[in-house]
Formats: sequence, C-alpha cells, structure tokens
Amino acid sequence: MNGLPIVRRARPLLGTLVEIGVVRDVAAERAAAAAAERAIDAAFARVAALQERLSRFVPSSDIGRFNAAPEGARIDIGTDARTVLDAAAKLRDASDGAFDVTLGSGAWAWRADARGLHKLAAGVSIDLGGIAKGHAVDCAVAALVGAGIGAGWVNAGGDLRAFGALALPIDLRDEIGGGVWRFATIEDGAFATSRRVDRDGNARHASVAAPQCLWADALTKIVVASGDATHPLLARFGARAWLHAARSLAAA
Amino acid sequence: MRVVLTGTIAAVAAAAPVGAFAVDYLTLEQAAQLIFPDADRFETRELALDASQLQTLEAEGVRGRSARWSLRIARRGDATLGVVVADAVVGKFELISYAVGIDREGAIRQVEILSYRESHGGEVRLPAWRRQFVGKTAAAPLRVGDDIANISGATLSCTHITEGVRRIVAVVALARRNGSLGW
Repeated sequence: MNGLPIVRRARPLLGTLVEIGVVRDVAAERAAAAAAERAIDAAFARVAALQERLSRFVPSSDIGRFNAAPEGARIDIGTDARTVLDAAAKLRDASDGAFDVTLGSGAWAWRADARGLHKLAAGVSIDLGGIAKGHAVDCAVAALVGAGIGAGWVNAGGDLRAFGALALPIDLRDEIGGGVWRFATIEDGAFATSRRVDRDGNARHASVAAPQCLWADALTKIVVASGDATHPLLARFGARAWLHAARSLAAA
Repeated sequence: MRVVLTGTIAAVAAAAPVGAFAVDYLTLEQAAQLIFPDADRFETRELALDASQLQTLEAEGVRGRSARWSLRIARRGDATLGVVVADAVVGKFELISYAVGIDREGAIRQVEILSYRESHGGEVRLPAWRRQFVGKTAAAPLRVGDDIANISGATLSCTHITEGVRRIVAVVALARRNGSLGW
C-alpha cells in the first residue's frame, strides 16, 4: 500500500467531511498530478450539485420544495432525487416501513413516479440523510471514473466506496471513547456504518458492505433497526453486514 | 466487491488499544495555490480586531473567538484576487484544520481541509495534545501508519467547520469595510 502516488483532498459537504483519494498515473508524472486535481474538482462539484438538489436544508431543492408543499402537490424532481427515492421506496416496502425517509411523519404518504414526487398527506416531510450520502459517493466515483481515474476512493463521513486496483484499509471509529481500530480492507465495493440508540439507551452499531454505496448506506439503517446482521434484504443487494455494539458499549 | 476482514468480530471487540488517525491533505500554501491558481504571489497580513470590532461580530451573531487573524492576500500583478484564511476547529475527538478562500466580492470560493487528526480519548481538548501539531505540514507528516486508511463511523459532523467558515467570512467582511485589506 505504501508508496502509491496518492492525491488526497477533503472538503466539508453533505454536513460532514467528504474525502476523495485518487491513485495517480505514475507514467506521466506532472500531467497526472494536474489531471488528478481536475478529476477531484469535478467529483466535488458533483457532490455539491447533489447537495443543492437533495438537501432538506436548501429550500429550493427537490426535497425542500416537497416539504414546503401542501397535501396533494406534485413536485418536479431531478433524476438524482428519483434514483434515491426509488431506492427508498423499495427498502420501505421490503422492510414494512422500518426504512422511513419521512422519519415518522408519514412513511407511506409520498410517492415518486415519472410525473414527479407526490405529497399524499399534509405534514409529511422527507429527509434523505439516511441514503443520499451513499448516492453522492456513487456519483462522485462515477465522476472520477469519467475523468479517466483508474483507482481511488470517496468517503463521505464514513460512507465510502473504493474502485480500481486498490485494497482500501478501513478503520472503524469508536463512537464513545474515540480512536479507531482496523476492521477490514475493501476492493471495488462500498462500506458504511451507522449507529442507533433506542428509547432505552441501548446502542447498536452496524456496518454494511455492498457493491454500491447507496445500498451500503441505506442497509445500515435496516441492520441497526432490526439488529439482524443476516437480514434477508442484504442478500438481495449483494451486501454483507456486521454488528459491533459490544465494543462501543464496553467503552462507555 | 472484495472485503477482507482484518480480524474476527470477537477479536475486534476484545482489542483494547485503539489507534489514532491523522491525515495531512495540504499545506496552507498549497491550498492557497489551489484556490487561487491565477495568483502570482500571496501577501501575509496580520489582522488584530479591537474590542469594538469583536462586538460588531457578536452583534452579527458571530462569536469572534480570536482577535488575531493571519490572512493571505492573493495577488496577480497589481490586482487583488481574494484572500485565504486558515483556522482549526476541535470536535468531540477530532482536530480539523482548514482554509477558506474568499473572492474580492466577499463570496466563498472554496473550503479545503488541510489536516484531520483524531485522538483516542479526550486528549483533543488538551492544549498539549493540540500543540504537538503546530507547524506540522504535509512535508513533515505526522501519520499514524503511513497508509491510505479511511475511517468509517456513524457520526462525523462538520458543524464546527460551518461555524468557523461563517466566522471567517464575517471577519474578512469587517476587515474589508474598515479598509484593513486595502481593497
């Protein structure tokens, strides 16, 4: 791993830190450095554009407009919102409403189709925080590949994806005591971690690996909600999961 | 997709010592060049806010925090392109330094993270822990395991950075208004 010519940048986006790393083409040293910077810029720009369209904190975003709309409204949405909402609907339906982008305000009170996003009840609001970061990572990876980058990674606050000839070491953060420990390496795949504390103060901490980060990100919520690291939905999306509550709780 | 676990879950759960984590992305000079690639030089200007200026910031809803700021003015020939300001914020476990580039009109051009350091334990709040990183640059990296490791965790908020960026924008606006930047 050491000695790979890596260009690594990070910017605050999506309410967290987004890190992009690319392996430079050593054959064309100077040109490669500039090309890497341009590719990283393009990938960050893609993430920033997604944030403008999907963030509930941006009133003009697809989600901001939905949340402000009255019952019965139909909101025009872009392809990114459609992709994320279609995935969210699939997981909601398959999990009997446990995966809920409305955070309890009306899991079944919205519908996305070719005509737009329909608001089926007053007061329902959407927050894509549990799934959009994963999609943003997938889009940033696509931007890097489109710019000719052969290998690298994108990490949005722990939702990450590696691509190309690269085994990316993953450290898990100890959410309670601080510090990290080495968990795995991943090649050509995505990895995400979530934590959920229930009403009794019990914390569950889970990670999911999947081919795409959208599914890794979203499926962590299913795993922490169900406490089931062998949940049947995982296999449907080619994913694997791990629960690691014990260590964080021990540290508390 | 290929995932190789470093240890069994049981071994991970039992492992007592956890490591630290640190990445150096850019020096302030490198970040300034990236943010203002057309600049032919950067002039350092020290800004000292007086009590009334700090009060003005407070009135704008920005806690001044520091009275002293070091600014890098981006110039090309006689023209001023903007300014780059570096700052560091402390989170629950992490110390993050970053640079903000602001254009002539006072708009944010870019925010680049310079370095990220995560402590194991509460040391991040100890001045002694933070002091060890003063003056460290990408040329003299303080890496814990010189590899490309990535952190996956459930919570990493950039609220502190967002607040810090807002503070810097307000400080630069104040400096422009009172003529300290010369443009």
